[in-house]
Parts: sequence; C-alpha cells; structure tokens
Amino acid sequence: MFKLAYKALIDRKIRSVLTILGITVGSAIILALIASSAGLNAGIAANIQKAGANILTIRNSGGFFSSGSTNTYQLSQQDVTYLKSLPNVVAVYPYYSYGASINNGGESIQGTVVGIDMVALPQLYQGLTVAEGSIPLLGDTTAAIIGYLIANPVSGNTIGLHQMVSMSVSGIKASNGASKGAVSYAVLTSGILAQYGTALFANIDDTVYISFQAASILSKSPYFTGIYVIVDNTNDVASVQSTITTYYSNNVRVISPGQILSSLQSITASLTVFLGSIGAVSLFVATVGIVNTMYVSVMERTREIGVLKAIGYRPKQIMGMFLAEAALTGVIGAFTGLALGYALSFLMGGMLAGSTFTGRFGGGGGGATIVPVFSTELIVFSLTFPVLLATVAGLYPAWRASRMNPVVALKYE
Amino acid sequence: MPVATRSAPAVQTVDVTKVYRVGHTGYPALRGINIKIERGEFVAIMGPSGSGKSTLLNLVGALDRPTSGRVIIDGVDLKKMDEDKLSLLRNRKLGFVYQSFNLIQRLTSVENVEMPLISRGIPERIRKARSLKMLSAVGLHGKSNKRPAELSGGEQQRVAIARALVTEPALIIADEPTGNLDSKTTSEVVDQFTQVNKGFGTTILIVTHNSEIATRTQRVISLKDGLVEKEEYIKRLDSYSTP
Repeated sequence: MFKLAYKALIDRKIRSVLTILGITVGSAIILALIASSAGLNAGIAANIQKAGANILTIRNSGGFFSSGSTNTYQLSQQDVTYLKSLPNVVAVYPYYSYGASINNGGESIQGTVVGIDMVALPQLYQGLTVAEGSIPLLGDTTAAIIGYLIANPVSGNTIGLHQMVSMSVSGIKASNGASKGAVSYAVLTSGILAQYGTALFANIDDTVYISFQAASILSKSPYFTGIYVIVDNTNDVASVQSTITTYYSNNVRVISPGQILSSLQSITASLTVFLGSIGAVSLFVATVGIVNTMYVSVMERTREIGVLKAIGYRPKQIMGMFLAEAALTGVIGAFTGLALGYALSFLMGGMLAGSTFTGRFGGGGGGATIVPVFSTELIVFSLTFPVLLATVAGLYPAWRASRMNPVVALKYE
Repeated sequence: MPVATRSAPAVQTVDVTKVYRVGHTGYPALRGINIKIERGEFVAIMGPSGSGKSTLLNLVGALDRPTSGRVIIDGVDLKKMDEDKLSLLRNRKLGFVYQSFNLIQRLTSVENVEMPLISRGIPERIRKARSLKMLSAVGLHGKSNKRPAELSGGEQQRVAIARALVTEPALIIADEPTGNLDSKTTSEVVDQFTQVNKGFGTTILIVTHNSEIATRTQRVISLKDGLVEKEEYIKRLDSYSTP
C-alpha cells in the first residue's frame, strides 16, 4: 500500500513537494521554537543554579527587581550584624558593585568591579575556580582577581598575572547621594578566573574582584550595593527569606534563586506556548493544503478509482490507499521537518542568546549560546503529530474516493 | 462467498430490468433480459446505441444493481450481496477489458497486471511471478517494465487482458475492447481473446459494434430498446459448435 502511495506521490512531484513543504515548515517551526524555549529554560535553570539555591541576595529596592518603592534605605554594617544573627544563616557577605571601563592597550572593555570578601566566591558560584594565580590575601587592598574575558579580551592584549590593570569606575555616589562620575582606579592581578559565564545577574567573566576593604576605600561609603546571605540548606531558604522580608517590609528586595527560576520559567512557559501556537497555525495551514491536494488528486483519479473498483478493490482498500498517500506525505514532512527544525533551533538559540533578557538570564553573553533541548517527547511529537494531522486531512478525500460509484467513475473523462 | 455448482452457467439473467431515474422521470435501459451464457462460451453482445449493452455489461459485471430481476454469476445470485462481497466477486470471478484500456499510467506493465492480486493480499514474490507469466501468455514477455505510454495501443490492450486474466476469472467482460485500435491490431486482440477462450477455457462476453469481431465469436446476442432482439450461433468451418 505504501509503495503504491509513494508512486502516486512521485507521479505528481511538484505538487507533492509543495504539499510536503508545508508540513516541513510547520513541523520545523514548532520543533525549533519548543527546543529553543526548552534550551532557554534549561539555560536559565543552570544559570541560576550556578549561583546556589541556598543563597539570598539582599538589594536596595530598585533596579530590575524594583517593587516600585521610592524609599532610599541603604544597606550597611548594622544590616550585616542583623542578618548574621538570624537562625539557619551560615555566612553573610556584603559587597560593592560598580560599572567599570577597563583599559587595555588603548582599548576599553566594559565590565564590573565587585568588592567582596573573596572567600565568598566559591560559595556563591558553584564550580568557580582560579585558573592562574591565587585569591589575594585577606586585607590586600591593591590586588584583584579578574574574569576570563578581562584577561583574554576579544580584541586587545592579554592580561597576565602581576600586571597593573587600570579602569574607570562609575556609579560611585558621594555622601550627598550625587554621582561622582568616573573614578580612576588601578589594581594588580593576583589571579585569573577560569571561564564561567553568567550566574544570577553577574557575568563572572567580565568582572574584576577586589577585596571588600579596597572597595570600601574606593567608594568612601559605609553603604553597600547588596548583601549575600548563605543559608545552611535549601529547605530553610523560604523561612529565612520570609523573616528578612517581614523585618525590612518593602525597604529592601530579597531575592532567592528559586523565586527567580520560578518567575522566569513561568515567562518562558508562556513564551513557549505562544511561539508553539504560531507553529501550530503554520501546521494547520499545511494540513488544509493536504486536504486540497488530496481532494484534487481523488477527482483527477476518478476513472482510476473506477478501474480499481472494477478489478475488485473494496471501498476500505481504496480509502486505505488514499489515506496511505496522505500519511506518507506526513511522514516525509515530519522527517524533513525534524531535520530543518534541528538546524533552525540552533539558529534561534543563537538569536535568543544575543538578546539582552536571555543573555542576562539564559546563560548567554560573553560568547555563550543557548543550546536547544530535544527531549524524547518532543522528538516523538515532531514525528507523529504531522503524520496524524496529514492522515486526518486525508480522511474526507479518501472517504469520497471509497464511495464513488464505479459505473460513473469509469465514464469520467 | 456462496459456492457455485459445477453445471451452473457462467452468466444468467432472469427478467432483469434497469430503470435510470432522472428527477421524476424513469428511463428503462433494460426491460426484461433473460440470457444464459454457458461456461467456456465466447459471446458477443451487439446492438445500436441506447440498446442497453453497456447497462447489461455493468449488471453482469456486478458494478451496478438491477431495478428488478436476478443476475447470477457462476451460480452465485448477486441480489443479496453487499458492496464488499460484490468487490470480492469481481476480484475472484470477473475480469474487465475496456475500450480505453484503463491502465494506470504511472505503473509499469507488470505492476498494472498485479493490481488485482495486491487487493487479495498475495505476497509480492508470487504476484510478480504470476503477473510475468500472464504477460508472457499475451506475448509481452519483454515489456514488463514499460509504462503504458511506452506501449502501442495493441500492447496496452494486451496488458489489460493480462490484468483481467491474472486472477483466473470465470468470466471476462470486454466493453468495445478494439474501439481505439486499427484493424490489424484489432485482429491481434481478437486473436488474443480467442486464444484465452480456447487455452484457458475462460468465458468471454464482448460488447462490440464490429460485426467482423462478432463473427469470430460463438454466439451473438442482439439487443434493441432494452430487450433481446435475437440470439444466433455463428456457423464456422472450425471446431466451434453450433446449437
């Protein structure tokens, strides 16, 4: 039956190719969109999990996670003391964070300078290692460890150990709250981090880490950008978060990785449904194309159907022949759609990685890309759904063929 | 399927009528046909246009149902058979040859011939062997991989005859099989039918306007205005019998 169906398809090559193309494109779009979204989802999860699920970030209200509050509460040492007193809290690390333009042989690399007690780094970012050199000694206010892309810029000179790195630091505020403008600053590299990527708003690879004391001197301010709170285990994160939120009301923002993951995954889920719907519309249009093609084919082959009935083909067999043609169209379209969708998903992954949102959260940025995820369910769906649709599309034309009166069909010109 | 008795005629019609309804008007194409064709006969049906030849062929070929009366093929009454059983009967007991050959253009000769066997679910190896044997029987041994467009009219008709024969039917029904052929090819095709009739003992019912073809059969049934006008046996100098 499928051999006959194949011959029928290649008898009208152009028509068959165009019909199959519709299925291919629709199927490819669905596969690419869902795989890219799944990859984005996985990238977000991996990104956030890099930061550790038991870490809370306390920030002043404002910025990306602004609650809309207009208060000017500033985090200081007394907040560190309070947070350390909380049960289930094992460590508290205040930090300063500013934008920096790192000078490299006449070229500028845009990055971040973060002042933090550097023993915190391995606790905050799972798997982070120092590729060369070492973490500066406690109290060393001149040394820094630099991220991979600072040391190995795309253009500019490589920065090695024990090298002077000068930069312009922005975002430092004066005591009256006014911005100080760009402040010149220089450090000596004592360590270079291995390539890491992003983790929870931070692109580690384009960050210069200086000691907390050095940052305190640089900023000349007792107020921190934020505070990291490390909870003893993930089961206690929610209760600690609740305690802190209650204590501070809306004066600070308490961010947990799980919360971010949940929010972002909710967004990507909606995105997936929306994008998948677009693909589904495309597939539906292709299905209508199959109905049309099959109907025309049945009409053109009226006399052939009469002959088949005359030589003894039962109505079910005739219906089966045309359904086989429709199904075969779906099968070919499904496989070609799978191949095209596979290629398209990497293209889409690259496009998504380049966007600001996904680059920040989805593991992109710094040359990284989003890797599409092809689950078994997705592959099976991509192979079976088009076949099912195509077969359903062929039902009415096939039924019409089976019901033809052989006498009338044999006379058809 | 009901089993036919050995002595049953190949074809029998009992008071068969067929009325075509167009709106409220009924057009009687057949008005009470009683014919009997014995096994192994080679019979021609002749008559002017509108005499009911094609209608009779459609009824005998189980492609249509009479308005009244009975059609009995190889001892089997078609009256109470459903669509599926009629299809089975056509596949197992009947073979059709048409004026316009009605071959499937995208298939090769052997593929056209094996089509009735595919319906029966016969394995490919056996189908191919039987189809090739049948093509050889009609003298088309070297043309099995040719498509109809690559064959002459006579060759195409022989492929159609092979297709009709491949199921070893009790009856072959031919509707103006030489209508599209030149005289030489017509003669070759009629020779083919004669060989099939003599060699396989297959009953052949042929509708024709060509009196020369009719004279090469054993009996001619003439229809006029939906009735049998006359039946005559052809007297020949060869071994065909006379009544």
